[in-house]
Amino acid sequence: MIIMIAIIVGCIIGIVIGLNSPIIPYTYSGYLAIAIIAALDSVFGGITATLNKNFNLKIFISGFFGNAILSILLTYLGQRLNVDIYLAAIVVFVGRMFNNLAIIRRYLIEKFSAKEIINTAQKMKKKREQKIQKNT
Amino acid sequence: MKKGKITMAISLFFVCILFMAVMFMQFKTIDETDITAIENMRETELREAISTWKAKYEELEQRLTQVNTQISEYNESIETDKEASEVLDKELDSSNMLVGKTDVEGEGIVVTLADQEDYVRGSDLLELVNELRYAGAEAISINDIRVTNMTYIAEVTDGYIYVDGQRTTAPFVVKAIGNQTYLSSSLTLKNVGFVDKYTNSGIRVTLEKQKNVKILKTNQEMSVKYIEEVVSK
Repeated sequence: MIIMIAIIVGCIIGIVIGLNSPIIPYTYSGYLAIAIIAALDSVFGGITATLNKNFNLKIFISGFFGNAILSILLTYLGQRLNVDIYLAAIVVFVGRMFNNLAIIRRYLIEKFSAKEIINTAQKMKKKREQKIQKNT
Repeated sequence: MKKGKITMAISLFFVCILFMAVMFMQFKTIDETDITAIENMRETELREAISTWKAKYEELEQRLTQVNTQISEYNESIETDKEASEVLDKELDSSNMLVGKTDVEGEGIVVTLADQEDYVRGSDLLELVNELRYAGAEAISINDIRVTNMTYIAEVTDGYIYVDGQRTTAPFVVKAIGNQTYLSSSLTLKNVGFVDKYTNSGIRVTLEKQKNVKILKTNQEMSVKYIEEVVSK
């Protein structure tokens, strides 16, 4: 519970800071965009890990910053080499994001369908008990 | 367990702040940057723009060379026109001088006919003019009346001579511009020359060479009424 509150409050404060921050030069916004995609990938990875109950804070943080920095460096290198490496980074990150999203989706669907099964099972059980009571 | 949860919450809190701040900063940047400005264009867009501008530049350069050649052509034609007009001007000037429409000056002679007892006849003047023309005079005047190709010399009564409708009397000063030696020598031929002939007949004729004879323009109006230029095809 405290974690959820921390995340929500953090998001709101971050939005406020972001909206009041100065504009960065357009040339660097490309690097920032790649970093954002990498961080988003880490966030989805973290959510998946939480659902699988093997979330590790150190892995999450190191992945969050490490992926962002690595993608920025790769983009810079690509610009120096005149190769659009950032496209590869985007493909990898977005592909992983879809994978994670699929896992999350499957988990949620299974969770709800399991609840339904349990509900129907309970209803059937009640009916049977009523029948048994009538018979006796 | 509780401690671990708090550290996780705090770290996630900061991560969220950073993430959202960067994301919205980026949104804001993208929203507020003018993508059409040259500094913000992507390389491919810049390349395209450069190629289109290059094409335009080449087109304009072509037009410039075209216009320049046209201008030089015009200049040439202007120059030739100028030359032609200069030639025409010169021709006009010389024609005007010869016809008598302008004041002229130059080397020549002045012949003075002063009558003593005998009158000077109009035919004498005519003969003098004729002699002068024969000797190559380019402009002649009698008592400052310019002798043109329309000039007539008429003697109405004795002593009254009309030159172009203007009455003149003795002494007659006849000026002529031309080659001095030709003029004087043709007039002063022994016995048959004009001077000798008339000096013998009693008219005092003096001939004077002058370096700078000035002859006024005609005061007659010259108009063309009947003659037309024959246009040969």
